[in-house]
Amino acid sequence: MTTPNKTPPGADPKQLERTGTVREIGSQAVWSLSSCKPGFGVDQLRDDNLETYWQSDGSQPHLVNIQFRRKTTVKTLCIYADYKSDESYTPSKISVRVGNNFHNLQEIRQLELVEPSGWIHVPLTDTHKKPIRTFMIQIAVLANHQNGRDTHMRQIKVYTPVEESSIGKFPRCTTVDFMMYRSIR
Amino acid sequence: MTVLQEPVQAAIWQALNHYAYRDAVFLAERLYAEVHSEEALFLLATCYYRSGKAYKAYRLLKGHSCTTPQCKYLLAKCCVDLSKLAEGEQILSGGVLNKQKSHDDIVMEFGDSACFTLSLLGHVYCKTDRLAKGSECYQKSLSLNPFLWSPFESLCEIGEKPDPDQTFKLTSLQNFSSCLPNTCTTVVSNHNISHRQPESVLMETPQDTIVSFAQELNRINLESSNSKYSSLNSDSSMSYIDSAVISSDSVPLGSGTAILSKQAQNKPKTGRSLLGGPAALSPLTPSFGILPLETPSPGDGSYLQNYTNSSSVIDVPSTGAPSKKTVSRISQAGTKSVFSQSGNSREVTPVLVAQTQSSGPQTSTTPQVLSPTIAAPPNALPRRSSRLFTSDSSTTKENSKKLKMKFPPKIPNRKTKSKTNKGGITQPNLNDSLEITKLDSSIISEGKISTVAPQIQAFTLQKAAAEGLMSLLRDMGKGYLALCSYNCKEAINILSHLPSHHYNTGWVLCQIGRAYFELAEYMQAERIFSEVRRIENYRVEGMEIYSTTLWHLQKDVALSVLSKDLTDMDKNSPEAWCAAGNCFSLQREHDIAIKFFQRAIQVDPNYAYAYTLLGHEFVLTEELDKALACFRNAIRVNPRHYNAWYGLGMIYYKQEKFSLAEMHFQKALDINPQSSVLLCHIGVVQHALKKSEKALDTLNKAINIDPKNPLCKFHRASVLFANEKYKSALQELEELKQIVPKESLVYFLIGKVYKKLGQTHLALMNFSWAMDLDPKGANNQIKEAIDKRYLPDDEEPITREEQISECYPYESVGTDESQESSMTDADDTQLHAVESDEF
Repeated sequence: MTTPNKTPPGADPKQLERTGTVREIGSQAVWSLSSCKPGFGVDQLRDDNLETYWQSDGSQPHLVNIQFRRKTTVKTLCIYADYKSDESYTPSKISVRVGNNFHNLQEIRQLELVEPSGWIHVPLTDTHKKPIRTFMIQIAVLANHQNGRDTHMRQIKVYTPVEESSIGKFPRCTTVDFMMYRSIR
Repeated sequence: MTVLQEPVQAAIWQALNHYAYRDAVFLAERLYAEVHSEEALFLLATCYYRSGKAYKAYRLLKGHSCTTPQCKYLLAKCCVDLSKLAEGEQILSGGVLNKQKSHDDIVMEFGDSACFTLSLLGHVYCKTDRLAKGSECYQKSLSLNPFLWSPFESLCEIGEKPDPDQTFKLTSLQNFSSCLPNTCTTVVSNHNISHRQPESVLMETPQDTIVSFAQELNRINLESSNSKYSSLNSDSSMSYIDSAVISSDSVPLGSGTAILSKQAQNKPKTGRSLLGGPAALSPLTPSFGILPLETPSPGDGSYLQNYTNSSSVIDVPSTGAPSKKTVSRISQAGTKSVFSQSGNSREVTPVLVAQTQSSGPQTSTTPQVLSPTIAAPPNALPRRSSRLFTSDSSTTKENSKKLKMKFPPKIPNRKTKSKTNKGGITQPNLNDSLEITKLDSSIISEGKISTVAPQIQAFTLQKAAAEGLMSLLRDMGKGYLALCSYNCKEAINILSHLPSHHYNTGWVLCQIGRAYFELAEYMQAERIFSEVRRIENYRVEGMEIYSTTLWHLQKDVALSVLSKDLTDMDKNSPEAWCAAGNCFSLQREHDIAIKFFQRAIQVDPNYAYAYTLLGHEFVLTEELDKALACFRNAIRVNPRHYNAWYGLGMIYYKQEKFSLAEMHFQKALDINPQSSVLLCHIGVVQHALKKSEKALDTLNKAINIDPKNPLCKFHRASVLFANEKYKSALQELEELKQIVPKESLVYFLIGKVYKKLGQTHLALMNFSWAMDLDPKGANNQIKEAIDKRYLPDDEEPITREEQISECYPYESVGTDESQESSMTDADDTQLHAVESDEF
């Protein structure tokens, strides 16, 4: 059997931001972890620094909970994982669950990673192919590479689609000529 | 004042004039310790204030009684600087609770400084929401002194419409003289060693002596070449200090100049310039005698001289030390025409020329303050084409207050930079340079008295110079007023007709740039602003508008260069941080942009635009409550800030509170009636409120005002579409396609129209064009539109779409349903999406 293909890295989410179609809203949420080693917690997960990481310190599954103040449209999740640096701490099976609260979560996505080496983009859509609207997202690490117990996660970003309408219910305009007149600043 | 204090005071003023604040403060403290007089107190407080420590001046003055007007004025100024508005008001006019003084009382009390006092008071009133009283104060201040620009500016900004013609005119001689500080006339004359042309003229008005301050710096230069003046004791010239000068404790309300009568004895030994120049506009400065100066070093030609009422002129022989700061730009020659008002007259009064001519080519000693010369305006407006004749030698410079106010005399360096021909009469100069009237100089020897005729002539010249300035101010005032009422086209028109050397200055160009910005002509505005940056790269006021212009044009490189430059240059200016915030906002890094806008607010809490921009950022990060608060703050600071009203309207629109939105947009429109963008928004809101007829009217109006605005046409088309007027909508859209061929929205709407008309083929075509033009947008709406079209009809929507993409050789991206964005294609195919059966 051929070895399964490695998960290729995705593009830097900053590029995604620059298109203006999505916006990072992790700052509008409350983040919590099922467990962590001191000095390797939420801050390191959200500090925009790929050198620092979250290290879990408990039993599987390891959970990252993201709770929003209000029901938020989430389009994409971006997770940075790097097999070369994390080896057996690299997650290999991730489940994404959404819901209203801890008791109400449903899995909407499960992904398998094979020696990932960069950003993983996880689009979150509901059955109608639209971005999900939810109060809470839970990212569960079900398994690690080489059956490691604990996991490292270096960075997680959450993206919401930018609602375009400056005026009218139209999608965004593309040319500068239109955009110039779109608003008064 | 005793003679004891004179030299000390003189030394202090000299230090102040040289910006040597540590020296000044130290000496002033010693003086105050020695003599606890109000004058010494005022002097010390002035030293503190000028060295930038308003709080020290404040506490000092508060701790001691201030009864003299200048102390009170300074204290009030410190209060306002420290944002203690109530206290400032109390000092100036008796406060809110007590009986307030009327303007006349204030005028009487403060005399010469009444205009500034009233201006300050007006500022306080405006900041405390008493606009009517504030504008009254400003008006009165302007009537007292038409040379002040800032009350006029403030009046325009609060929405009043002062009439520039009425405001900027010299109503009477009384006004004229009272505008100038009542101090001794000091004349600086350039001399060569060879030429003893001590033009010193004493201007005597019938009522009053017109006093002006000469550039003390001239003198200072003189001295510096030899002895440091600091050595007060170094020579006998101490005795030159005229005690008479020191006399004035009181406000010299129209009093004659405190003239050093004793100065007649000209002891042309070491002199020192003690008189403060622009700095020493306080009534006390005359007390600092101007010692006759002797310029030991050759080439220095300018001297400050004191003139007694008897207009004896003391000529200080110039040793030829290069006089650097010749303030006077007006050579005698033909000065008459300089000030000739309506600029038609080009006649030259040759009378005075002669003298100056004769002074020969000691160009180095004739630093001329070169007045900007006016080239005759191309359209030959009757212009104050005052000719300014600067001659080399004798330039008696009179600094009048107005000079200081408007045109800080250009201080030429040692080399003569006389732009005008030496003795050339032909150069038309700007009347503004009037300030320095080259007074007729009579040859002076010790104790000689200048003749009356030249004096009167000089006075006429001065007056003419002032008239010329007034004329310029009238034009600029009209332009500025038009801009503040958002008659932008007219403003541009008026300001473009200013003489070119004024046009090509930062202030004027910034106003014009702002006018274009308000008209939404961002390309033009950008051009103008980049010109400003080129000629005055130290200018920050107005750069925030430039940064927003670049934001609209999405020129990120230029914007980041601008913001870097501004923040490097001046970290304490809100404009720089606004530019930085705009830069990051354009890069969609909203958190950083928010940080910078908050910094701008910190730097200056009274800067409305920073609040507005911050509000916009919060809207972009969907924090609408914070955005509302920001816009409200902006309105609190400046109720005429229509951008903030617009921002509020936008938020309500987003929240679908359409009537509130309309109301706020309407308020913004009331302030700025010519904005097509605003009208466009109102139209859309009205349509949302189901008032489609009105919406169409509004949009028509918008298009009339600005036919270049494509969004108005687009929205009109969409309103027509919503009202099922498909044909006209299509027509509109076709026109739009010509104007903006690359806009995907246009095709999208056309597609929808065709869909409604049942022409599916065309609809699909347009939809796919729209999608092509917007590949990264992942426009769900467009895809939905396509899908919806086909789900009922077609079993294979996907293949149909694929067919389309085959048929039309565009680069379609991602027709695969499961893909959200092109970037995730690769990832998605690798990830195994497994349906969980936990449901």
